[in-house]
Amino acid sequence: MVKKRLIFTYLFDGENCMLSRNFRLQKVGTVDWIKKHYSFDSIAFSIDELILINVSRNEDKINQFCDVITNLSRFFLMPIAAGGNVRSFEDAKAILRSGADKIILNTPLFNDRELVKKLINSFGSQCIVASIDYLKQNGDTNIYINNGKDKLDLNIYDGIRFVLKQNVGEIYLTSIEKDGTGMGFDIDVLKNAVTQSSVPIIASGGAGDFYHIADCFTKTGTSAVSTANLFNFLGNGLYETRKYLTDNGLNMAKWTY
Amino acid sequence: MITIVDYGMGNIKSVENAFNFLGIETHSTSDPNELEKSSKLIIPGVGSFKKAMDNLSTLGIKPILNEQVIVNQKPILGICLGMQLMAELGEEDGITSGLGWIKGQVKKLRLNNTNLKAPHIGFNGTYYNQNNSMMFNGLNEITDFYYVHSYSIINTDSEIAHTIYGSKIVAAIEKNNIWGCQFHPEKSQTNGLSILKNFANL
Repeated sequence: MVKKRLIFTYLFDGENCMLSRNFRLQKVGTVDWIKKHYSFDSIAFSIDELILINVSRNEDKINQFCDVITNLSRFFLMPIAAGGNVRSFEDAKAILRSGADKIILNTPLFNDRELVKKLINSFGSQCIVASIDYLKQNGDTNIYINNGKDKLDLNIYDGIRFVLKQNVGEIYLTSIEKDGTGMGFDIDVLKNAVTQSSVPIIASGGAGDFYHIADCFTKTGTSAVSTANLFNFLGNGLYETRKYLTDNGLNMAKWTY
Repeated sequence: MITIVDYGMGNIKSVENAFNFLGIETHSTSDPNELEKSSKLIIPGVGSFKKAMDNLSTLGIKPILNEQVIVNQKPILGICLGMQLMAELGEEDGITSGLGWIKGQVKKLRLNNTNLKAPHIGFNGTYYNQNNSMMFNGLNEITDFYYVHSYSIINTDSEIAHTIYGSKIVAAIEKNNIWGCQFHPEKSQTNGLSILKNFANL
């Protein structure tokens, strides 16, 4: 049976890797700085997939983002999904040519469905990851677009249905409320989302330690769990996480180092 | 020299990166003359079967591939859609003829009476059936490889490995000089690198 996936997400603003908390960003360092201080190997051999998101608030950073993809794809011999700020067919093509296998789309799902359709026709459904960001407020769960800036009058489950109709391959679901807090995933919403989605879901937002990740898998049934928390999973953090998941009965892929 | 067939589909860079990691040189081209000169070929592929066959025709690559693979018996490795194209036909968007190098048809995965999500995405345990398989040389009988697909080959007699997702799925084929994997060896960590090394060592 297909195994569960542990995913690491790097957030980039141009050449700078960022840390996010409730979608507010803080600079960490360039790829070279990260290579120097956080071994790529210990991450690369502990995860199943890599996600790279362009979180730049400026639209002209696509070239730098592509350079980052090219650079990292040499070390991470695994599926790489990349996106964020994709506004045209050319943006998507550039990302794929740089070394990514899948495109991540967020805002266009809701305001440029023609682009989504065009990308799926050209590259296939399995090439498109739908990223949905949501915030829980006053008992409602509302979808936000444009890097979490603009609120849509759409709740999370209607949003999932809306996105599924566009034939995407997977859904990357991020809780803005839990993002960067290290306090665990939004179990309730994820559980419901998994039940309602015909495509795999990648859970995002809230990982503080490997208990949270294991918890997310067992309580929600999600196909994959992602963390973007570079600091919480320092050094052997991801290796320890993978070991913990395996030791606790979760079906994880195995390979030799 | 290992040549990656560039017909406008599939992540060529990932394949290059993986061989590069192994210290093995590759180059990619769509030029029929260059394909003629290669010693081994790789067909990557992600996307539509129909579009892929259209591209191969338009680029004039089809006749060269037939000559190099069937007549000259050059080693060739098809990855994902690249393997599927080797079958007789594909049923995505109507019926399209494939290269017809191996028996079989490409159909949508049957996941109807299951709770399984589609596409089939992720690492999955792969069982290889034959003890004298060169592709899986050095690997355990069950090894995890990365899959991402909605279609698979059925009714083939060239299967050498399978995985299970709802039902048994053809994971790999081997017929003389023709190799194919439904999974992505270039995306399957060190397990995949072993497959690529075995191909390079042919």
